[in-house]
Amino acid sequence: MSIPVSAEGWRKELPASVTRLGWILLIAGVAIAALGYIVDARRMAFDNVIGYLFLASVAAGSVFLVALEYIGGAVWSVPTRRVNEFLGGLVLLLPLIALPMFFHLHDVYHWTHEEVVAADKLLAGKSPYLDVNFFVLRFVLIFIIWSLFHFLFTRNSTKQDTTKDPKLTTINIRLAAVFMPVFAISLTLTAVDWAMSLEPHWSSTIFGVYYFSGTVLAALSAATYIIIKLHESGYLPKLQRDSFYSLGALMFAFINFWAYIAFSQFLLIWYADLPEETVWFMSRWKNGWEYVSILLIVVHFAIPYFALLTQDSKMDLKRLKLMAIWILFAHLLDLYWLVMPTYSESVSFSWTEFAFPILLVGLVMVVLSFKMRRNNLVPVGDPKLTRGLSFRL
Amino acid sequence: MSTAATDYTREFPVVEGRPKAAELDATIAAPLDQFPSRVWWIAISITLSFLSIGAFCIGMTLYEGLGLWGVNQPVSWGFDIVNFVFWIGIGHAGTLISAILFLLRQRWRTGIARFAEAMTIFAVMCAGLFPLLHTGRQWLPMYLTPYPNQHGLWVNFTSPLVWDVFAVSTYFIVSAVFWYVGLIPDLATLRDRTTSKIKKTIYSVFSLGWRHSNRHWQHYERAYLILAGFATPLVLSVHTIVSFDFAVSVIPGWHTTVFPPYFVAGAVFSGFAMVQNVLIFVRQAFNLKHIITLDHLEKMNKVMIVTGSMVGYAYAMELFIAWYGGNQFERFVFLNRALGPYAWAYWTMVSCNVIFPQLFWFKKIRRSIPAMFAIGILVNIGMWFERFVIVVTSLSRDFLPSSWGHYTPTLYDAGILLGSFGLFFTLILIFVRVLPVVSISEVKGVIEGGQPSHR
Amino acid sequence: MKEKQQFSLTALFDTPDEIIRAAHETRSAGYTRYDVHTPYPVHGMDKAMGLRQSRLGIFVLIFGLFGAVSSVLFMTWVTLVDYPLVIGGKPFWSWPAFVPVAFEITVLMASVLLVVTMIVLYFKFPNISHPLHDTPYMKRISSDKFGISIQVDDPKFNEREVREFLYKIGGKEITPVYFDLEDLDHGQTMFDPKFLGVLALTAILVSGATYAVFNQLMFMEPFSWMSTQAKQKAQRPSDLFKDGIGMRPPVEGTVARGFLPYLFKGKPDEAGKNLVNPLFATKEVIERGKATYLTYCSPCHGNFARGDSRLRGQFPNPPTLHSDKVRNWPDGSIYHVITEGQNVMPAYASQISRDDRWAIIHYLRVLQRAHNAKESDLK
Repeated sequence: MSIPVSAEGWRKELPASVTRLGWILLIAGVAIAALGYIVDARRMAFDNVIGYLFLASVAAGSVFLVALEYIGGAVWSVPTRRVNEFLGGLVLLLPLIALPMFFHLHDVYHWTHEEVVAADKLLAGKSPYLDVNFFVLRFVLIFIIWSLFHFLFTRNSTKQDTTKDPKLTTINIRLAAVFMPVFAISLTLTAVDWAMSLEPHWSSTIFGVYYFSGTVLAALSAATYIIIKLHESGYLPKLQRDSFYSLGALMFAFINFWAYIAFSQFLLIWYADLPEETVWFMSRWKNGWEYVSILLIVVHFAIPYFALLTQDSKMDLKRLKLMAIWILFAHLLDLYWLVMPTYSESVSFSWTEFAFPILLVGLVMVVLSFKMRRNNLVPVGDPKLTRGLSFRL
Repeated sequence: MSTAATDYTREFPVVEGRPKAAELDATIAAPLDQFPSRVWWIAISITLSFLSIGAFCIGMTLYEGLGLWGVNQPVSWGFDIVNFVFWIGIGHAGTLISAILFLLRQRWRTGIARFAEAMTIFAVMCAGLFPLLHTGRQWLPMYLTPYPNQHGLWVNFTSPLVWDVFAVSTYFIVSAVFWYVGLIPDLATLRDRTTSKIKKTIYSVFSLGWRHSNRHWQHYERAYLILAGFATPLVLSVHTIVSFDFAVSVIPGWHTTVFPPYFVAGAVFSGFAMVQNVLIFVRQAFNLKHIITLDHLEKMNKVMIVTGSMVGYAYAMELFIAWYGGNQFERFVFLNRALGPYAWAYWTMVSCNVIFPQLFWFKKIRRSIPAMFAIGILVNIGMWFERFVIVVTSLSRDFLPSSWGHYTPTLYDAGILLGSFGLFFTLILIFVRVLPVVSISEVKGVIEGGQPSHR
Repeated sequence: MKEKQQFSLTALFDTPDEIIRAAHETRSAGYTRYDVHTPYPVHGMDKAMGLRQSRLGIFVLIFGLFGAVSSVLFMTWVTLVDYPLVIGGKPFWSWPAFVPVAFEITVLMASVLLVVTMIVLYFKFPNISHPLHDTPYMKRISSDKFGISIQVDDPKFNEREVREFLYKIGGKEITPVYFDLEDLDHGQTMFDPKFLGVLALTAILVSGATYAVFNQLMFMEPFSWMSTQAKQKAQRPSDLFKDGIGMRPPVEGTVARGFLPYLFKGKPDEAGKNLVNPLFATKEVIERGKATYLTYCSPCHGNFARGDSRLRGQFPNPPTLHSDKVRNWPDGSIYHVITEGQNVMPAYASQISRDDRWAIIHYLRVLQRAHNAKESDLK
């Protein structure tokens, strides 16, 4: 099988209506967020943390998936890799989402209050790390690292569209190898900084891995949804069922991985029963939070597990699409469950929670249409493309 | 470095050259038909002498009791648990290769899967030895299982040690079943090849009457896929549960939530090192260089660097949270590991597990047999010491300085460890003579021209 | 000799492409009782043969659920009904701790039963007397050829037509396969003396081994060691010591628990000078002193230490303890008297513990003060 069409044939723009809808959602989201900051800045700041972590999941997770394809030598994902690359472009927008938060650090992070830290021996011990300047510095460094790798991966990949040089693949493989450890550290620090330090007295060594499992799931689901949507609307070349099966199987694997990590963390803390650790789960097991916890198990594990259990269901595009959206929602719920118990002891829900999801959906649509206008939707120069298109298990 | 010339448009050939299916039969079955060579006799006499040293030490332990070992309060878990976790870890590579890489459609696994699975089974056998010996009354193993007894007692289902019993025995049974299912078609092939009547009878019985029917292959492939799907979470669960033995406690240095994935990564790490080490000899001795290729070994080395880095991540995370968590006992334990009386073990562990494997970043080293062999051995030493560090440093220095102690293993401890290596390698040496070390039917399916061309 | 009975007609093919095409042709030609034999699974064969997807997955689901549910129910019953026991301060029904075992049992049930189902139900194995076994055809398949075997019991089977058909689709070495005569006429193998002999031998061996292990081996050393240990039991003779007694007299100067020697034997003055009441006059101590006083002292000295008990007149009269002498005695002197006795009064050292003696003294001081109460005490 030869490469299906010429390079130019794969620059396909999304219809203007999608872009317009994206802008509308984006502006609506920004408006709600702004209103939220005016009405209840503290609550909005917490929602902002959720929004940031969600975007970081999808964006950094997508860069990770690109790197994973290179390093794992996968071929099935080559025809759809561009979707991951486009989503990876969201890392460049992370500071925009994080920015309003930086003005409300005091509302969210207990440890930013110097008088509190001075009175608290434990927090004082952590103050070299939990320090506002260092926090911002880490954020900037992580942003630079992710952006740099995203930039390098995409640049080489785009260059390959015209040069068709297999050397670029080799370079990207090496980059991916370097990226992996860097990603592991940066994602862990993100999780520690943004989510774990909400309860500065509490700590868990698995927390980074926990966030990682959700990250990969979110990135994978976002990509899966977009790929299927594009495929159905005829944007992508004909893909083998086995490629979708691989997507579904990966999703299934990471659902299990998430459950495994979440359960391990819970079991170890529940079993050892040390008050300084159980407090974190206790605050998620009272005042209505217990229902959210149970809901999380059902939504994040039980339902997608049984929905994707059989071989056929992993190839059923409709179901995959539904599950992709479902898992994105589940990841949002997961982050809500991680962040919000710090905001209020009893479960509460407010319209401000909608701001960032709406904003982010709009953002993804806008970014996608922007990227699709400028890039080929298929990496036509990738030497593995032909194999990817005819991929069979 | 010739990476620039890598051809990405073609799938890597799993088997080098273009062997015909019939040649494969002959190559793989050759060791089964020939009289063992002198090297084999020398090798097995060495392993058998190790085994008999171990058998002697075990016999003495049974007769005299556990007082012969170095364990005492406060280090009541010594070599026995270290060896147990070590061997279970070795076993993990086999299931990873046979199940997880199968699910990931990594075709390069075909050449090494059978061998790695056999190693899994033997390693679990070695591992199972140690907890049984450590129970002290080795002739009452049935108390480990929940059977209706005259005392009206049940096992404590909330104890991680009971979970261990379930996990390890399930792991052993499922691995053995998985291995046997994979062997059935090969046994049928051997049955049809052999000229010896005795061998034919044995092969006939164990191949159950397999006749390569496609009406069977269809279910067989399905079952293999499902088994792989079960073996994957199973292998994760086994070392996870082993890690629970430590992590559910409140001992500083043991109670840390990253233990489950960290133990699993470490297990795969050491297992791959062991498989790589042994395969280097097997491919040499049995002329299998075109089936177990240098590429396969290189890929294994890559897996080792990945899992080694995961282990490094866990070390770093433990250190970071020990500081960040602010628990003085945790902080002390990690300082004590690095600077205390067992610092030599700690630094052996760190250098062997985290530093030396980094050499695999260089392609030259990844593809050099002596270098990878040396690093593989270092990794195994390092992983053994990892368990030693975890078990001994935490127990010897826990909360109250008045109850601190020092652990010194005795010769019997060392003898049983040696014996377990003897058992492992004896079983491997027997295995390579009586069963095909490479899955004949799977390799036939991945040689060039092995599948219909319309794909 | 019986006539040979044909099982099928077989043909061999060289390449996977050929066999896929041949399987497709065979199916299209309408044959149903045929089989394709390949040394390894050839991709796309299911489609070519028109096989339905394997239903093994459903069995696995059932077995897995069975394992999960039964293990959780069993653990629930054990920990909640049959033998509830508090472990680690956790509730009886600690479900998180059941997850590992439930998971393992699920995997064990599902995978082992899956293989058993496949081999027994689907393959009807073990079956080593299938007519295709040990044929030249099977030997070629086992190695590197691919083959089709169209069975005689196919409704469309016609020796000549099938032969032509196989030839047409490219089959080589077209050969008939016959049933094994022995297999057709195996008779009652159940009562074959050899088989019965093996059965009997197995039974004897198994029962013998069971007996040996459980009734003999388990009572031999080292297995019985917990009951015969190398230690000296109390009141038993021993060869180790010259006197043949296992129990050893305590070392010179050994002080038994609660039997500290009294340092002021026969030295009342020194006792009065050196001993100090170690107890504080708390309410508890005085209560204790009162109880002990009433038990041991009051029969002679009277309930209020006036020396007025009902023993008055029967012995040399026990003195009152409110005398100036006793009131001015230091605590140590009283202690000495209780410990050693005085005149007719016996020693109470073996009956009243040291602390109780001191407590009595506290109580006695209370009585003395109450007996000689002053105006100032009321303030």
